[in-house]
Amino acid sequence: MKRPINRRDFAGYTGLSLLGASASGWLPDIAAQVDQSATKKHRNCILLWMSGGPSQMETFDPKEGHENGGPTKSIDTSVPGLRISENLPQTAQVMDHLAVIRSMSTKEGDHSRATYFMHTGYLPQGPIRYPTVGSFLSKELLDKDCDLPAFVSVNPFQAFSPAAYGPGFLGPAWSPLVVASRMTGDVAESQQVSFEVSNLKRSERVTPAQSDARLQLLTSLEHNFLKHRPGGPGRSHVQSYQQAIRMMESGAVDAFNLDGEDDILRDAYGRNPFGQGCLLARRLIETGVSFVEVNLSNADGAGGGAGWDTHQDNFEAVSSLCGVLDPAWATLIDDLQQRGLLDDTLVVWMGEFGRTPKINDNTGRDHWPKSWSAVLAGAGIKTGQAHGSTSDDGMEVTNDPMTVQNLMATVCKALNVDHEATNYSNVGRPIPLSDHGSEPAQPLLS
Amino acid sequence: MENQCPTLSDIVANDQFIRDLTVRYVLLSAIAVVAGNSLAAADPPRETAAEIDRLFQAAWDREEVTPAGAAGDAEYFRRLYLDLAGRIPAVSEVRDFLADESTDKRSRVVDRLIDSPAFVRHFTTALRNAFIPQANSQPQFRALIPGFEAWLWQHISEGRPYDQIVRDIITTELNASAGPALLSTTSPDAFFVVRELKPENLASGTARAFLGVRLDCAQCHDHPFDRWSQEQFWNMAAFYAGFTRPADEDADNPAMMQNLTEKTDVRSISIPGTQDVVPAVFLTGLEPEWSDDSRTPRQMLADWVVDPRNPYFAKMAVNRLWAQFFGQGIVDPVDDFSENNPASHPQVLGLLAQEFVSSGFDVTHIVKVITATDVYQLSGLQTHVSQKESSHFARATLRGLTPEQFFDSVAEAVGYYQPYRSDNPFVVDMNSPRARFLDLFRNNVESPLERETTILQALAMMNGNFIDNATSVDDSQTLRAIAEFPAMSNEQKLETLFLSALSRRPSADEQRRFGEYLSSGGAAANANAALADVFWALLNSSEFMLNH
Repeated sequence: MKRPINRRDFAGYTGLSLLGASASGWLPDIAAQVDQSATKKHRNCILLWMSGGPSQMETFDPKEGHENGGPTKSIDTSVPGLRISENLPQTAQVMDHLAVIRSMSTKEGDHSRATYFMHTGYLPQGPIRYPTVGSFLSKELLDKDCDLPAFVSVNPFQAFSPAAYGPGFLGPAWSPLVVASRMTGDVAESQQVSFEVSNLKRSERVTPAQSDARLQLLTSLEHNFLKHRPGGPGRSHVQSYQQAIRMMESGAVDAFNLDGEDDILRDAYGRNPFGQGCLLARRLIETGVSFVEVNLSNADGAGGGAGWDTHQDNFEAVSSLCGVLDPAWATLIDDLQQRGLLDDTLVVWMGEFGRTPKINDNTGRDHWPKSWSAVLAGAGIKTGQAHGSTSDDGMEVTNDPMTVQNLMATVCKALNVDHEATNYSNVGRPIPLSDHGSEPAQPLLS
Repeated sequence: MENQCPTLSDIVANDQFIRDLTVRYVLLSAIAVVAGNSLAAADPPRETAAEIDRLFQAAWDREEVTPAGAAGDAEYFRRLYLDLAGRIPAVSEVRDFLADESTDKRSRVVDRLIDSPAFVRHFTTALRNAFIPQANSQPQFRALIPGFEAWLWQHISEGRPYDQIVRDIITTELNASAGPALLSTTSPDAFFVVRELKPENLASGTARAFLGVRLDCAQCHDHPFDRWSQEQFWNMAAFYAGFTRPADEDADNPAMMQNLTEKTDVRSISIPGTQDVVPAVFLTGLEPEWSDDSRTPRQMLADWVVDPRNPYFAKMAVNRLWAQFFGQGIVDPVDDFSENNPASHPQVLGLLAQEFVSSGFDVTHIVKVITATDVYQLSGLQTHVSQKESSHFARATLRGLTPEQFFDSVAEAVGYYQPYRSDNPFVVDMNSPRARFLDLFRNNVESPLERETTILQALAMMNGNFIDNATSVDDSQTLRAIAEFPAMSNEQKLETLFLSALSRRPSADEQRRFGEYLSSGGAAANANAALADVFWALLNSSEFMLNH
């Protein structure tokens, strides 16, 4: 079995040749940066991921008046005639910047498989390791001048499906930088949320000259060792070190420090990990990061658990989660808009599935992939509309059903990315960004 | 060791004590490190190994593959230590091995390691990862690890055969009244707890962990790529149908086990969402013979799972063992035996399975066979493009370390003494450096050949406190020993640094370049700082951070 040298191998060798240079080869080339500053502007994407599967009835598809709707009331929004749940009053005010898809229909009701499906656009099957959406889109949207990794993931909850959060066959260069929030300060007084990339500063014991010398020694070791030992782990090691060193030397990491942000704005986002994570997402997009995923799965705004998995006490649980979601999301849209970033930034809101329209014996709702809601906002989207609809009881999609594959195609199109573009998979077959046969939903596109 | 019948914690303590000694006297290679106490000095199963090598040679000829050269002693020794002891060797161990001129030294070190507590510990971790993978990925189950590992340790160190270990897991008397105490109980109950005691999870867990069969999809529909039907899935689940479980919402809470009851006369299960009730039937279609009412459904299931005639059990076990030594199974992923995922070398797999059965499911026998093959003892240096495809096994491929292997190797290299809790060596202080490293280096990728270094890991190795201390002459045992040992030349210092981190001597080229750096005093014009710089570079290299 002989295999031609493919692009991944090539990338591996290129990485090595960079290493072969002196320590200065590790540093970003400032001159090249200036030259390329006029290159064309790519769009960016923020994914607000709702781990556990949020209830559509208590968010964007309220069924007030029907027994399946439960006690949840609906409210007017900034778009005449479009009503959403009372749980999202601030989001309702920016509805003109959002497009609701009420006709998600995805056929996968298992947390693990659905999380993978919604993150990759493919069902887990066979040996192919599909990349997560943040990986394959950041590869397309890459801003080469940015000193931070192209894909940053804030507080992810990966337990349902670790593979749903990885770069799959695209390889380690497209892995997310995972950032966790931290609470600092006095619990009783004012707790602050902070994000920090640990260990960015070199030890105080080491002088800058020493640090350069160390990298030179390391480079010669790596060159000797990896020259004739191809393979993923070695390539990954070199690439991660390169990215880490680039970050260490760059001022771009200031993006993680929210201290300079206006207190009023920080309050508006919500002083919790999700709210501040949305603010961080904006700062990262400003810095040139292409894809930021922010996870909300807990009413305290932190990443852990699957709070949207409301098998019991659905109404209380969703209401308190929305208390975190609503101000953060609405403020994010406002903030992006005011800074002129919304035209180039697509904001996606979704979980792995919806909830059963029928309320169960524990006042809860169970898994429901058949008819549920997701939301798109910003770049490339025709906003201020609801796309698709469900029956009065919420049990059926009544028009414009949306598959996962078509949602992925729509997301690609909104970002000016060719959804039929392919990558070579680990089994040597070209795999399109969104599955064969998928089509963008034109009515959603501006 | 003098103690004839050491207890569990004695073994751990002695192992630690000896390793600590090794570190302190890192330069005094003459110290005998491990007293051989092996009774089983039988010849290694070289015949089987030779047959395996013949099968590989034939496959390479067929595929026009030119295999890599043989691994040198240092390369082999480091790999073997990582694979058997779960850590790199101590400096003195490397020196001894390299100095040993006898021809059977490779097989002797295999025998010695197999008899060591380090092997038991490493193998315990490997089986725990295979049997309760949820404990890695889901934080709420992490507390179950100590009890499960203690149980496995006991079984493995007593030399129980593999089939008996699996049987004991499947048929274990669940400790219904334990409740929260379960967490510190030495028992295999975690196998059931991480699967929330659900018959469907236990069925797919049994199939995957012990048989290498993925039934998961057949739970909801007929498997799209395989021959398993939904009915077959629930047939398997029926063997676990007797549990009366706590309410769903508490199912993933280990403390809720206390309300557990089990009816041992339940032999069927209804398929959710249908009217169908299906009986307990084995995956192969074989029907259990219930003639003897004293056997419970779980006992019947265990009889079938570990039966030498079971077409999956032995193959799955040797395939997983193989992957432990090559980073890749002969069937890969290791737990995906299916028509769409054929074995790369089916005859080798068949031969190993046969050996496993005829040895009475003796894991150490298979370990001896595998490590005796020339295939295992190939170099990692690629000499021909045909060696690139890892499924040819024509070269030792770069493999990621498990988080445990990695930290234990770091500790070995830098001379860090790992404290254990005396009352339970399996409970780890969550704030210890080891726990923090395991957390940071825990990874999502199953295959060691696809293991990634993350940016955060790179930053921790470059700038983190632990490595910073380990590369400071003031705080590092290894460095201080080297820096302060009188009358040692730069050349000897450099050699010791290389042996500590990379388990090999520097090449002539490295001797020259790194030697010049040391003698010039390095960038900080300070001899100790220069030593630290070299050690830092070695610890951050992919050669140190990977198996190869």
